[in-house]
Amino acid sequence: MSDAAILTCTGLTIGYRNQKAIIKEVAKDLDLHLMRGEMVCLIGPNGSGKSTLIRTLTGIQPPLSGDVLLSDRRISDFSPEEKAKTLSVVLTSQVQAGYLTAFDIVALGRFPYTNWAGKLTEKDNEIVLTALASVGARDLAGRFIHEMSDGERQKVMIARALAQEPELMVLDEPTAFLDLPHKIETMRILRLVARKTKKSILLSTHDLNLAIRCADQLWIIDSGGNMITGTPEDLVISGTFGSAFEIEGVRFDAIRGEFSIPVEKQGTFSLAGPDSVERIWTLYAMERIGFIPAEGTRADVTVTLRMDGDIPRWQYSCTRGEGECGNLRELIGCISGSSGGDDAH
Amino acid sequence: MRLDGTENGDSMRRFVVALPLIAGILVFFFLLDLMLGSVNIPPEALFKILAGGAVKETWVNIFWDWRLPKAITAICAGSALALSGLLMQTFFRNPLADPYILGISSGASLGVAIIMMSAGICGAGAVFAGIGLIGDMSITVAAILGSFAVLLLILLISSKIQSNITILILGIMVSYISGALVTILLQFTDETSMHTYSLWTFGSFSGVTWSQLPLMAVLLLAGFIMSFCLVKPLNALLLGEQYAESMGMNYARIRILIITTTALMAGVVTAFCGPIGFLGIAIPHFCRAFFVTADHRVLVPGCILVGGIIALVTDIISRVPGTDIVLPLNAITALFGAPVVIWVIVRGTRFGRGVTT
Repeated sequence: MSDAAILTCTGLTIGYRNQKAIIKEVAKDLDLHLMRGEMVCLIGPNGSGKSTLIRTLTGIQPPLSGDVLLSDRRISDFSPEEKAKTLSVVLTSQVQAGYLTAFDIVALGRFPYTNWAGKLTEKDNEIVLTALASVGARDLAGRFIHEMSDGERQKVMIARALAQEPELMVLDEPTAFLDLPHKIETMRILRLVARKTKKSILLSTHDLNLAIRCADQLWIIDSGGNMITGTPEDLVISGTFGSAFEIEGVRFDAIRGEFSIPVEKQGTFSLAGPDSVERIWTLYAMERIGFIPAEGTRADVTVTLRMDGDIPRWQYSCTRGEGECGNLRELIGCISGSSGGDDAH
Repeated sequence: MRLDGTENGDSMRRFVVALPLIAGILVFFFLLDLMLGSVNIPPEALFKILAGGAVKETWVNIFWDWRLPKAITAICAGSALALSGLLMQTFFRNPLADPYILGISSGASLGVAIIMMSAGICGAGAVFAGIGLIGDMSITVAAILGSFAVLLLILLISSKIQSNITILILGIMVSYISGALVTILLQFTDETSMHTYSLWTFGSFSGVTWSQLPLMAVLLLAGFIMSFCLVKPLNALLLGEQYAESMGMNYARIRILIITTTALMAGVVTAFCGPIGFLGIAIPHFCRAFFVTADHRVLVPGCILVGGIIALVTDIISRVPGTDIVLPLNAITALFGAPVVIWVIVRGTRFGRGVTT
């Protein structure tokens, strides 16, 4: 097993100490294995010790006890240059450099390989351009970093980590600051990199929904410093995933694989109609305004969805009366009175 | 020229293309600095002097004893200040950092003030006052001792403290303390020494004699060479020290090297020319904008050349050619430098590094 693992920890305790004593133990007795070509998402609530773990695993901070083995060697035994050739990082802090092009920044990833003046050889050049291309940022090469959007900048930083030709890439919250499509794009790029180049990737994130969908393995730290590892789907099925994150009033929906937003219950409803996008979103809309499906019992509201060619129509009947609506805004307005859109009437 | 990433180091190529032009400008202002002054030497006479021909004796004397060492000093000092400013701006990742931010020049001032006070009190003042500012080696020695005392202090502190922002604040505090000590010391000096001191604070390229010039040039050249060797780690530091370390840079060692190199250059210039302001902060910004890059492989040679040029220009202006008036050099550098800094701050919000740390 150990020849396939790029990063192994046994009996690792992480935390902080001063000269004399241990000040704070963040997590104890961690046994972690990260395989080659695998993508691992490290998730956990704020303050659970994700950053401490990442700092320890990358050798920035010494462990309180136990060992971190990188390619079966203790990480503290690596020279800075050897470590740089095995492990590269993408930090969460934004790079503030002006007058540097994307090419310049990615070329800095060749730092451990170039001569004293940092001169790029033909081969270095090629690696830099390949790195840019594999994150889909080839056309950004000549653009200045301070003129880029957050999403573009993140791609360049990933390309830089890639150009360092490591075996393991560690990314600290690479999807923070990004909007949802760019979060997904970043994850897609990282997955592709892991698949194509056989590099291992460890990333911390707060985007649980994305982590479930993308990771080969999840490492979950709960607020007590306990670590749970496993395949995302297994963790969802066993309910471990939900219980690690649920807080007062917020529940994990194991069917949809996401956290549901709690609403005050207004009543029950029944919905009839053909299976379609419209039907699914009618369900969501009803749930959003506080109606839950009436299973067996009499429904407070009955909605019938019918397709008039391509045009959906909603018929409803409830205590307020009955009628037909052309869109969900109207329907919500009719059912809930003031809480929907009043201007429908 | 296209800004295309396919061409490795495009900024480097642009620099190589511009190099002969910049070198030409440097030579032009060097010659101009040799010709202009209270007595203007016409170009033909200048070339005759260089060729060893016969011209008016006063011109020959002015040229050899006065103009040539001054022009060489100006180039060396301007280059060194620009370079040490560049080093500090990259190291602290702060666009307002300058060569003196570590308190180097304040240490030098303190050294100079102590010499003057001891001269005033011990009666040895007559000796120093008699020799005057120009060519007074004791001032140079005092300034070097002062700046290296501060350097040792900063290195000692930085071996204990990780954060370089802390070092920055300590440097500024050291400046205040030595500034305060200087003011107190000046209370006890006689008027002549005080005048000498204030002349020293004006800054001047003309205080360096032929006997001192080789020492200054060798020390500064060492600083230039060290800067060239630091090009790669400086580039890595543009991404911040954490990234630099993750790429295999030995931060603790590089930090000592950068601080020492800066202190060497800033200290030597202060010792020989006085605390010359604004060149060190303005020229690196000018170079970044001019060469459109933050790559130190371009900026280090760029700062050396442009620093030399700007120093020559400010020297020519401060001499007010054709008159006997000599304006304080620091006034001219500030008039040139402050607008550049203002421009950087105004522009910095959109382009460049901004004023964040």
